[in-house]
This record gives sequence, C-alpha cells and structure tokens, in this order.
Amino acid sequence: MSALQLSDVRKVYRSGDQDIAALDHATLDVGDDEIVALVGPSGSGKTTLLSIAGGLLRPTSGSVVVAGHDISGYEDKKLTAFRGSEVGFVFQSVNLVPFLTARENLLVVAEMTGKPKGPARSRADQLLEELGLGGRSRNLPDQLSGGERQRVAIGRALMNEPGLALFDEPTSALDTEMGEQVMTLIRTEVKERGVAAVVVTHDTRMTHFADRKVEITDGRLAASGG
Amino acid sequence: MLAWNEMRRAKVRFGLLCGAVGLLVFLILFQQALLGGLVTDFIGAVDNQDAPVLVFNDQARSNVEGSFLFPDQAAAIAGVDGVASTGFIGEGTYTVETGGEIRDAVMFGYELGGLGAPSSLVEGRLPAAPGEAVSSAADRDNGFGIGDVVQIVGDGGPTIVIVGLADDLRWSVAPTMFASYDTFEAAQRAVNPQSSVVFPSLVGVQPVDGVDIGELTDRINSEVDGVEALSRQEAVDGNPGVQGVSQSFGIILGLAFLVVTLVIGFFFMILTVHKARALTLLRAVGASSRYLVKNLLVQILMVLAIGSFLGVVMTVALLRLGPSGEVSAKLDPSSVAATLLGLVVLALIGGLAAVRRVLRIDPMSATSGAGQ
Ligand SMILES: Nc1ncnc2c1ncn2[C@@H]1O[C@H](COP(=O)(O)OP(=O)(O)O)[C@@H](O)[C@H]1O
Ligand SMILES: [Mg+2]
Repeated sequence: MSALQLSDVRKVYRSGDQDIAALDHATLDVGDDEIVALVGPSGSGKTTLLSIAGGLLRPTSGSVVVAGHDISGYEDKKLTAFRGSEVGFVFQSVNLVPFLTARENLLVVAEMTGKPKGPARSRADQLLEELGLGGRSRNLPDQLSGGERQRVAIGRALMNEPGLALFDEPTSALDTEMGEQVMTLIRTEVKERGVAAVVVTHDTRMTHFADRKVEITDGRLAASGG
Repeated sequence: MLAWNEMRRAKVRFGLLCGAVGLLVFLILFQQALLGGLVTDFIGAVDNQDAPVLVFNDQARSNVEGSFLFPDQAAAIAGVDGVASTGFIGEGTYTVETGGEIRDAVMFGYELGGLGAPSSLVEGRLPAAPGEAVSSAADRDNGFGIGDVVQIVGDGGPTIVIVGLADDLRWSVAPTMFASYDTFEAAQRAVNPQSSVVFPSLVGVQPVDGVDIGELTDRINSEVDGVEALSRQEAVDGNPGVQGVSQSFGIILGLAFLVVTLVIGFFFMILTVHKARALTLLRAVGASSRYLVKNLLVQILMVLAIGSFLGVVMTVALLRLGPSGEVSAKLDPSSVAATLLGLVVLALIGGLAAVRRVLRIDPMSATSGAGQ
C-alpha cells in the first residue's frame, strides 16, 4: 500500500483577480517506507504540496489519499485529528513551542491527541536519545543550537507514530555538516520505523539521502533519477 | 500540562498578574467586609430581634425613627387573620451618661416576655424588669458592659443597668440597648416633657404557625389603614442608612469587579497574540481549538485561584491584625464564596476576547512561518 497518493492534484490561490496555480496536475505515489526528495526552486509549489499531503490545505481539485484514507473531502475537525495522528510535520520555520522544553515539545503532541502518558514519556525519551538529545531534553528551545532544535522537531514529527513524515527544507538553516547530520538522522529514524517520508530541499547535495528524487517546477512534478 | 508549563516558564509575568488579581480580590473582599460591618452596625438591632414581622407607619418609608403607630392601628393589626400575637416596640436615640462620659445611645423598648427581644444574646440575660437592658456587645468597653449603669439625660430620665450583651445589636452605628417598653416610655417622657402620650414606633407581629409571612404582610397592609408591614428582612433591606451605604459601596465594588475583568481580559489577549506562532504550530500538528481553549481557560482559572487565595489571605490577615475601629468589618463566608464565584464568571468573560483569538488561528499559516 502507498503511504501517500496524490492524483491529479491542483491548487489554485486567488490573489486579487488573479489565479495562481501553485500546483497543477500533481500526481505522486510514495511507497510504504520510501523516502522521496522533492526538489525545486523557490516558489515552485513544494510547501503547497506538503501542506496538501499533510492535511493543512485542501486541494482545489484532485484526490489525496494517505494510508488508504482519502482526505480531500475531510472537514476541519477531521483534518485536525488526521494531522495529529497520521502525519508528522517539520516546518520550514517555526517548529517548537518556545515555553516548552525539548521533551515537553514531544510530549505535548501526545497529550493533545489524548495518548496515554506513560508510553508517551518512554517514547519521547527514546526518540530524544536516538536523536542525540538525551542530555538536552530539559532545555528550552532558545537554549538549543539550530541543529538541536531541528532534531527536536524531527522527534516531535515522529512522536505520534505517523505513517508519513513531511519535512520542509529541514536543513536550509544549517551548515553543510549539520545538514548532513540531520539528514542522516532523518533517514535512520524514518527507515527504522518504516515510516514514509517526503523531504523538501533545494539543496541537491542532500538528495542522496532519499530513495527517489522528484523535481517540481512551476507547480508541475517531473520524476528524475536518483 | 501545556497551561501549567507555560506559567512555570513565565513566573514573573504570571506572578505579577496573580499579584494584581490578588490585590483586587483583597480590595473587593475588604470593602465587602467593611460594608458588611457597616450594614450590621446600621441594622443589627432589627436583624437580631425576634419579631418576624414589623409594622411601620406607612409614611415612615421603612425608617424606624420616623415611624409611630396609634393605639387603634395597633389593635387593628392584632385583629388581622393569621396574627398570633403582637407587641409594642419603641425606639429612640438619647443622650446618656455612662462611665462618667456623655454619649449618644439608642434604646429599643419591647414588652418583656413578648415580641422584639434580642435574639443574639452572648452573655448575661435578657431584661426581667424595668431599668434593665441588654446592650450591643461591641460597646461593652464603652460604658455598656454588664453591670454598667446608663443614665438617660433629661428630666426624670430612667437609670438602666446592663444585664446582658448581644452580638450585632447596634442601630445606626450607635451603642444600643434593649429594655422594657416602660423604660422606653420613661425615656421618651424625659426628653419630651410636653407630650403626654408615648406612641410605639413599631408593632411586632408573630404569625400563626404555618402562615406565609408575605401573605400576612399583604393582608395587614390591605386591612389596616396607614401601616406598612414588613418582614424582618424587608425592614433591614429597606433601611435608608443601609441603602445609602450599599449604593456608595456598590459603585466602588462594581468598578473593582470591572477592573478585574479588564485586567484578566487584556493580559490574556496580549499573551495570546504574543504566542500566536506557538499556538499556530500546535494547531498545525494536530491540536484542536478545543484543546487550546481549554488550556487558556485553565490558566485563567489558575490565575484566579492563586489571586483569590492571596486576596483572601490578605483580607483575613488585615481583619485579624488590623486595629478594630469604631466600625466593625465582617467577612461572611457565603458572600466571599459568592464573590469568588462571580469573579470566576467575570474572568471567563474577560477571557472571551483571547478565546476568540485562539479560535481564529489558521493552522495553515504555520507553513509560511507567518503565524500572526
Ligand atoms: N497563501 C497563499 N496565497 C497566495 N499565493 C500563495 C500562497 N501560498 C503560496 N502561494 C504562491 O504559490 C506558489 C508556490 O508557493 P510555495 O508552495 O510556498 O512554494 P515553495 O515552497 O516551493 O517555495 C508561489 O508562487 C507562492 O507565491
Ligand atoms: Mg516553501
């Protein structure tokens, strides 16, 4: 079964009297434990695609099937619950709640989706340990480095055991070495758990961490080797 | 957890808010205590006498000082269906000499063994003969203690010995004595030598068992000309002094309640705007609006709980340790509870703006990082 199936997805933004097609005839199939790199220039529609796959945005047309569920017709409440349990998201910019420690940033997603506390704690500790943050779990985000923050965000995305994880330019704010480290962690964590992932990047040096590369230009997808 | 963790991480901010709320709660409770004490000092005598129904002259507008009843009215009242017994009650303010000092004091006269006796005796006994009185316990050290002799100043003014003390027995914030009706008559004659007859100020009424007080007062009012029968509570509430004091305090208290609402409203509105990015992020990763609103309300309630605790502690401390002045302040647990409950409602209303702000958060904006 596919973790994510986008079929002929179109997203049109209306700005003023103008319609901008941020995504057009996008069809993409991400396998169960596959990592897909989504590469494209700025403004090409990468974030739009991730948002649609992650239930943050509804497509103008086309269908979005995640883990067998067609979410394109979900109403707000169902989408919220979907985001909490079926997908993990690492955003391009703000990822952590500033007044929660690293560990609490993981725990809060379990709490808000009503997961039992005990297992959530051990899962959070395990994730932080694997992400090399065992000693930093009680630190607040502003006491962490950029790379550490990004790793906490990865832990947060995997906290609720999603089938699909979405990463929006997870290395753009990091130097090459840190970026490689974070990509390695993403690959390890995702593969170990059998989670499918879409990693957006415009850094072609990072694409070798993925199983497959998909290019996007002006809202249109084109498969390419890799 | 979210609510509590945020408060822990912003101790100063929340501490200041709790302190401010605490001071406002203190202000409200202390004023209520003052008001309670003042009201009791105004109407304690009527509140703590045992006649369930008091009949006034209808021109007096619930003012005991301005009321007197004619003998035929008193007789007519006694004849109304549902009246078990009646008794004359007289009231007057007199210049007295006690403990070597000249003072003003109030005296109520009632028919000994009948209606109008003090019901809050704490020491000694009720008067058994003319020239004996129970006095307001608050004035025991001002010449109205048991065994003290109080002389009504005037030609042939009676001499009164205090034989008992009763709590909350003051009238119009003055030392107050309850004596026999004869003693009252003697005092009235001493201060008004010209008048030959003394009329009772009020007639106390005991309803027949099982008769509804409201129905009985209606019946007395319709059957007897020129009178206004009131239940004890109505007589207390209608007291002109009480109404004046309550109104002034009411305005100040109302303002304090309004300020609490606004302080909490503004604080949480600012806080919500301030952390909009974090809230947006949480919505984006699956938090329902309900979850965020719940955490907001939990914070509001926690702030209020801590503030109320501080306010109650400050009020109790001041009432315990502070100087006990002429006016006694009284904290009544049930009105404290009602006040705190009212504050909860107002705080939640104050928080509505912040709640609305939370509900308007668009999780999609987390992707752009705008979040505002
Ligand atoms: N909320 C929006 N309203 C209008 N236009 C938008 C909105 N979000 C994105 N766009 C436009 O859609 C296109 C794709 O944007 P985006 O998906 O963010 O690209 P990328 O992530 O690849 O940089 C851009 O032209 C962008 O200006
Ligand atoms: Mg983008």
